[in-house]
Amino acid sequence: MNIIEQIIAQKAGRKKVKAGDELSVPVDLVLAHDVTGPMAIEQFNKIGAARVYDKDKVAFVIDHNIPSSSVDSRRQHNILRDFHRQTGVKLYQRGEGVIHQVAAEEGLYKKGDIVVGADSHTCTAGAFGAIAIPVGATELAAVMALGTIDMEVPHAFLIKVEGTLRPGVYAKDLILYIIGKFGAHGFTDKAVIFSGDAIVNMSFEEKMTIANMAIEAGAMIGYVDQGEPIGAIAGTCVIQASDLEPQIACPYSPDNVKLVKEVEGTPITQVVIGSCTNGRISDLEIAAGVLKDKSISDAVTMIVIPASKRIAEQMEQKNLTKIFRDAGAIIANPGCGPCFGAHQGLLSAEDTAVSTTNRNFPGRMGHKEAKVYLASPRVAAESAIAGSIVDPKNVTSWEG
Amino acid sequence: MEKIKGRVFFLGDNIDTDQILPGYAMSVPLNELKKYALKGSQIPDFAEKVSPGDVIIGGKNFGCGSSREQAPVALKDSGVGAVVAATFAMIFRKNSVNIGLPAISSGCTERMKEEIDEGDYVEVDLESGTLLHLESGRTYPLNKFSEPASATLKAGGLIDRVRNILRERGELIDRRETQY
Repeated sequence: MNIIEQIIAQKAGRKKVKAGDELSVPVDLVLAHDVTGPMAIEQFNKIGAARVYDKDKVAFVIDHNIPSSSVDSRRQHNILRDFHRQTGVKLYQRGEGVIHQVAAEEGLYKKGDIVVGADSHTCTAGAFGAIAIPVGATELAAVMALGTIDMEVPHAFLIKVEGTLRPGVYAKDLILYIIGKFGAHGFTDKAVIFSGDAIVNMSFEEKMTIANMAIEAGAMIGYVDQGEPIGAIAGTCVIQASDLEPQIACPYSPDNVKLVKEVEGTPITQVVIGSCTNGRISDLEIAAGVLKDKSISDAVTMIVIPASKRIAEQMEQKNLTKIFRDAGAIIANPGCGPCFGAHQGLLSAEDTAVSTTNRNFPGRMGHKEAKVYLASPRVAAESAIAGSIVDPKNVTSWEG
Repeated sequence: MEKIKGRVFFLGDNIDTDQILPGYAMSVPLNELKKYALKGSQIPDFAEKVSPGDVIIGGKNFGCGSSREQAPVALKDSGVGAVVAATFAMIFRKNSVNIGLPAISSGCTERMKEEIDEGDYVEVDLESGTLLHLESGRTYPLNKFSEPASATLKAGGLIDRVRNILRERGELIDRRETQY
C-alpha cells in the first residue's frame, strides 16, 4: 500500500485497501466557513440528527465576508453563531483569518488525520500530512451527523521535485508550473503526493502554498511527504527545481501558465497579496523586501491581506505594515479579501490584476472580463512598483 | 428513475463554479439562488431562458473550482433536469448527486455538439444510460453511475440516505421544521 492507502486503511480499521475500494472512514476534523457553513447547517437540520457526532471535532470560521459585505452575508454569520450556541461546535468569528490558516495555527491539522472541509482549498491541510477531502454542504452535513465519510480510495500520483529553486523562484512558481504541466483536470479524483528534497526541505508555509493549489489540477487529495516511506506509486513525475523560471497563470484559468517573461510589460491596475495560498508572513516579507523605500505605481491599487490575525501581528512587529502603507498599499483585515469576488477589491471589465491568490476564472474577482494573473508575492510586488508585469529575473541575481 | 425531457443548452470545457454561481451570489437566500444560475457564463440570462427538464451538455472538467453547493442547487432550482459532460470535477459531481441533480459523464459529448442543435429536445434515461435526440431519433450512450451515487439518486439525495441510516440507529429526531 502507498502512504495514502495506509492512512485510509488504518483509519477505516482495515488491514488492506486499494484504489477503487469504496469504504466509510471516521473523520477527525470537520471544517466550514461563512458561505458554505450555513447551507450545511440547513441540511444538517433537514437530516434531523439528534446531535453533532462530536462537537469538539467541528469548527466554523468566518473568513469570506468579514466584516459582513452585505445584509445576506451578515445573516450567514448569525446562522453560524446560533448553531455554535446550540451545539457547542467551535466558531472563529473575531477575524482570526482564513479557515485553512486558522486551522493550522490552532494545531487542528494532525499528521495521519482525516479532515473534511466545505471548501475546495481544504487540501491545504495536506502540508501537515493530513488526508483532507473537500466536500459540499450536504456531504458536510452528513459527516456532522454520522462522523464518517463515504469515499473511494483514490489512485495516487507522485510528483518528486529535486534540487534547489533559483533566486526569485518560489513555492508558488513551482505549484503553478505543476498545474500548467498537468492541466486543470490532470488529477481529477486522484491523490497527488508532493515529494523530493526540494519539497521536503520547504518550510510549512511553503508546503501549504503547494498543497493549497492541488485542487487547481483537480486533485481529490494533495499530500506533502512527511518523511515516511511513500510506497509503490504507479504514476511518477520528476521535476528538477533548478530548471524553473518565474511562472504566472494567465486569464482565465489557473492552468493557463506561462513564464513571467512571456507576459512581461503587460500593464496592470491592481495587485493583491494575501489569501490561503500566499498570505503568510514569509510571503509578506518577500513583498515588503521589494517595496521597502519604494512607491507603487500611480496606475495600481494594491491590497495586502494577511491570512490571519497572528500574521497581522507579526507584520506589525517586523515593521512590514509601515513598509506597505508607505509604499501606498491598502492593508485589509485578515480573511479571504477579494479572492472569491464578493468584496474588498472587485475589478471592473477594464482592470488587470496580479494576485497571489489561487483562481482567475472569469468573474472570480469581479467583472467577468477583468483579467487576473496569478503569481508569487515577488512578482506581485515588483509589478506593483512598475505598473506592469515584471519578471524578477530582471531585477534579481540570477544564475542560469 | 423517471426520464428527463427538455431542451439542450451547450457549454464548453472547464465551466467553473464562478461561472455557474458567482461568488457574490453565495450569500443570497437559498430560494433565490436560481436567479443567478450561470450568471457568470456565456449564457448570463440562463435563468430566464431555462424550462423545467432542460439538459445542459458541457465539455471537460465541468464544475471545476470551488466546493460551493450553491452552484448545482442554482442549476437544479432553475429547472435543469440533468447535466451531461465529458468529465466532471469531483466536488461538483458529488454535490450534484447529493442534492438529487443527475450529473452524468459521456464519451459522446463532442458528437452531441455536432449533431444536436441548441434548443432541440432530448430525453435522458438514467436507467438505460442513454440520451435520445427526439428530432433524429439518435441515441448516445451515457456512463453509468457508481453504486453509491446511484443509491443516493434513488433515495432522492444524500439527506434521505443519511436519515435512513440514523433511523436504523435510533438517532433521528425531526427538526425539519427548523427555519433559518
